[in-house]
Amino acid sequence: MNEVLIERGAALAGAIVVGVTAIFQLKNDWAAKGVDALVTKILLGLMAAGCVLALLAAVNVLGARAS
Amino acid sequence: MAAAVQTLDGHEAVAARYHDVDPVYAETRDLRLTGFVLFLLSDCVLFASFIFAYVYLRVSAPVWPPFIGGHQLPWFDTSFAAFNSIVLFGSGVTMHFALENWKHLNKRKFNLWLIATIVLGIGFLLGQAHEYSVVGISWSGSTMGASFFTLTGMHGFHVFIGVCYLTILAFQANRGVYTGSKYFGLTAGTLYWHFVDVVWVALFFLFYLW
Repeated sequence: MNEVLIERGAALAGAIVVGVTAIFQLKNDWAAKGVDALVTKILLGLMAAGCVLALLAAVNVLGARAS
Repeated sequence: MAAAVQTLDGHEAVAARYHDVDPVYAETRDLRLTGFVLFLLSDCVLFASFIFAYVYLRVSAPVWPPFIGGHQLPWFDTSFAAFNSIVLFGSGVTMHFALENWKHLNKRKFNLWLIATIVLGIGFLLGQAHEYSVVGISWSGSTMGASFFTLTGMHGFHVFIGVCYLTILAFQANRGVYTGSKYFGLTAGTLYWHFVDVVWVALFFLFYLW
């Protein structure tokens, strides 16, 4: 199979798993209080956004020019 | 207090245990946390400086990627970068699980998730090394190469330091340095690792998707 297809397939599957897990953790930690919890929530949210970017890249919606 | 903690679940149990510490530790913990968040903010400024330099160079260039010696430089490989990004983001999730298991006094799962985080971190670094070997541009040949290698190299160095840091935390945790109520080092390690993940979100977008 094409190497690019394997990379994109793995990125797509990984983005879904990691993104959903990050959002689920964010939801679980929503009630937690304190500076560390606040920073963690912000960083988890941004990481979930990163998963969306990786997902869009994997399906050629973003960054399609490269390959 | 300990008996009361036994009857609580989830966040309540963790919060009760977290506050059931000696006052000196509680005070220094808050100060350390503030100091660590300030350190992360200073690191944000460092990355932001280089990111803005890259954005300036890119928007002021007549054509991007630039032409060197009559040939246009290649775009970066998005598919491999997306895969490698997921490796790093996945390590952020495993690190979060590790800390949660420590808070809930599950040391075996903590160790497993922490090892998974370290392995994924090393995997990301190996992926980055592979990318450097096939990227087809050099550090000194163009503004594109200089920006790419400076920013991703600086980020890779942060990941490397993070892997070393997490390895030290693993040894400390298994030697009894941290307890169910005193684990600031683990919290700091988790925040640092999430920070490294989030910086990569910005770099991934700027170099591979923009």
